[in-house]
Amino acid sequence: MTTTANRATGFVSPAARARDRAVDTPDRVALREKNRGIWREISWAEYWDRVDTFAHALIANGIEPGDRVAIHSDNRPEWVYTDLGSVAARAICVGLYPTNPTSEVEYLLKDSGSRVLIAEDEEQSDKVLAIAAADLPDLERIVYLEHRGVDAYDDPRLMSWDAFMESGAVHRETHPHAVAERMAAAEPSDLAYLVYTSGTTGPPKGSMLTLENLEFAAEEIAGLEGIVAGGTTPDDLIVSYLPLCHIYEKLFSVVIGTAGGVPVHFGESLDTLVADMRDVQPTIVQGVPRIWERIHAAIQVRLASASRLKRLNTVIWLSAARYVGRTLVRREGRHTLVTRVLHGLGNAFLYRSLRERVGLRRVRHAVSAAAPIAPEILEFFMSIGVPIYEAYGMTENSGVATTNRPGRVKLGTVGEAYPGCEIRLDPETGEILTRHPAVFAGYWNQPEATARTIDGEGWLHTGDVGEWVDGTHMRIVDRIKDIIITSGGKNVSPSEIENTLKTSPFIKEAIVIGDRRKYLTALIGIELDVVSEWAQRRRIPHTTYRDLSEKPEVRALIQKAVDTTNGKFARVEQIKTFLLLTKELDHEDGELTATQKVKRSIVEERFAEEIESMYR
Amino acid sequence: MRARLLHEFLPGADGTETILEIEDIHLSFAGVKAIDGVSLRVHNGELFAIIGPNGAGKTSIFNCISGVYHPQEGAIRFLGRDLLGMKPHRIADLGLARTFQNIELFPQLTVLDNLMLGRHQHVHYGTFSAAIRLGRASREEARNREVVEGIIEFLGIHQHRRSYVAMLPYGIQKRIELGRALAMEPKLLLLDEPAAGMNLEETEDMARYITDIKRELGIGVILVDHEMRMVMDLADTVLVIDFGKPIAVGRPDEIQSNPDVIRAYLGEEHAIAEGGDQ
Repeated sequence: MTTTANRATGFVSPAARARDRAVDTPDRVALREKNRGIWREISWAEYWDRVDTFAHALIANGIEPGDRVAIHSDNRPEWVYTDLGSVAARAICVGLYPTNPTSEVEYLLKDSGSRVLIAEDEEQSDKVLAIAAADLPDLERIVYLEHRGVDAYDDPRLMSWDAFMESGAVHRETHPHAVAERMAAAEPSDLAYLVYTSGTTGPPKGSMLTLENLEFAAEEIAGLEGIVAGGTTPDDLIVSYLPLCHIYEKLFSVVIGTAGGVPVHFGESLDTLVADMRDVQPTIVQGVPRIWERIHAAIQVRLASASRLKRLNTVIWLSAARYVGRTLVRREGRHTLVTRVLHGLGNAFLYRSLRERVGLRRVRHAVSAAAPIAPEILEFFMSIGVPIYEAYGMTENSGVATTNRPGRVKLGTVGEAYPGCEIRLDPETGEILTRHPAVFAGYWNQPEATARTIDGEGWLHTGDVGEWVDGTHMRIVDRIKDIIITSGGKNVSPSEIENTLKTSPFIKEAIVIGDRRKYLTALIGIELDVVSEWAQRRRIPHTTYRDLSEKPEVRALIQKAVDTTNGKFARVEQIKTFLLLTKELDHEDGELTATQKVKRSIVEERFAEEIESMYR
Repeated sequence: MRARLLHEFLPGADGTETILEIEDIHLSFAGVKAIDGVSLRVHNGELFAIIGPNGAGKTSIFNCISGVYHPQEGAIRFLGRDLLGMKPHRIADLGLARTFQNIELFPQLTVLDNLMLGRHQHVHYGTFSAAIRLGRASREEARNREVVEGIIEFLGIHQHRRSYVAMLPYGIQKRIELGRALAMEPKLLLLDEPAAGMNLEETEDMARYITDIKRELGIGVILVDHEMRMVMDLADTVLVIDFGKPIAVGRPDEIQSNPDVIRAYLGEEHAIAEGGDQ
């Protein structure tokens, strides 16, 4: 293997860090990929070789600094080769969500003016090939990873990954220093990524993230005072599974992976996530509320169908867990003697095997971010020994703003500011403002939108309303635009109520309605697997999602969950009546964003009649 | 690492030579004619579909080819060898694999075990070396597992690898049956209603697998199915039979415009299909 790894000047980037690791610890594991049932190791030397070859291939194909390189694929090693290789060649990497349909692919490729697209397989290639070539004048090359089906296509822009990498290898022979020269010229203000925001309202906007942004994020998150005391290390393990085009997964698979030297694992598919997690037993886990809710629901369901003895064991230790959890919450995550003993015993009887089964046995730091999570869920995980810390950030500040820290947890808050982050609340609106070196460079080609978001003093206007808890921890109230003002003039934060509803394992989606109305109502979508199993146990025959949602028994079941939620809120915040959705919300139907966030306005429009019926 | 194409781990076929030849076979049970003078030729790389109403004798033809039934008259030649009178397992050993209308898997075994069982005729070691897991046994075991893992990847059933077949949904079981047939390294694949009882998405998936098998392995495939749209989309050649008798044979477009076929089969079948399911 020819590796051109040598340290050069130029601003530090994830690519430079990968190169340095290839020099310092060439044989240590950088990535693992499960393939045909076996975890295959990729060393730092091999990792860098692939990245370097990819960067050479870009240069060989005429990519200049500042050009855009897009990738449309599920998480896999080639994704991070593309990511780091683009950065090494001083190109800008643009990630597309695997679920993006053709229309969005067209918008994103056009808006970014991407010159090269890495398309994973036949499905993703078909999407881009369905767009007239004339409508994508900048796109010169489509590189496909999977040969199946695509080999037979004859579009001149198509080239296989192997052939593309071969062109890089040839270029390296003739221009051995080309990539090193690019890297040496890297500036802090170089754009590394365009990260498209999911766009719950308008079309997606490309957030420009610079090398300086990433470097600051690396120090704050993976550094000595980062999320784990003493910094992340090569003994940590990460599983890469959230979409890599989102800043959240990038922070873990790319930024922490290279800054901390943490091996990153790519499982077989999204469907095998639980089995992959069980294999790896990662020490650092990045999760979104939806994932934690699912694991929580899966545990509850499994317990309900266990044998009597097992159930008794579970009931005992889960109630012990609740006590431990509450005590921990009260003490910001610190144990007392009693909770320590109880937890030790519980570990032997239940928690350890429970954690093992869902792949969380060795977790030393888990994160919940990207959307608000119900405190009950966090308390549950904390009580069985999975330390989940809620954190807060957004694409526009590279995902870096606040986090809860071991021993200083305040449930229901997103924690304290990172050491280098300035955070304050707008005195008039209560909007959270952040200022630090990870605040992005603006929206791609949208100076007006940028000016609305970053003010003259460099403060990023997050669009979230917050409040301080005990002067140190931030609590997110809601998105400014989502706050409901009832016709009685009361301000209500829908997401809090929605998240409490979603703690029921039977509820997947909840949308609280009530802006300028007399009372609150909700649209609720059931969790198909769980409700279906519940119905089977009760011998309630059912066929489809719609059929199940229309069963009176199911309505009664959900009513109970709504009543429980109502019990926790003041009168004006209670759900008076609700509707069960008869179809699952879907990205392709435009009801969810690529990150599975509900597009409120679209859903409210689509179910306008049903909503009206709740106010008659 | 990219997924392997089928021919990267399974033997394929080149060219368009005739692989199966049936000449004027007749089969009757207690005087009732099940097959009445059917002849056909299947080539490498050809997708040959047999269609006809229920009870027309389609599955009977499959059973004659695979040696379950013995036609009273006619000849069946596979790779130039006469199959008449040969036992089913001998025919399977020659490289003829089939799937069944009613799934024929071992429900109490895992997906992996079912697929590994599909490899049994590729096991060439004895009990002794199997017992001590040495040399040939472990090498062959590894090779068999390699093939099976390729098939798991091809069919996208990673998450079911360790599941018991009985616990899996019907559509997935159908896929595993196809996988088991592939594991046998077939030279000719007989698919008996692979899309029966499937929803639209599952049918489309199955159609894609069949297309990929044909393209990547270049082997002959004989398909029997009611799913008319799938047959017409996929097949190179279609044979229409009714009451055991061949009515027409030709390209899908020829078949669709053949007046005999429309009268005898497609006409009424279409009328039914418009009105309801199948």
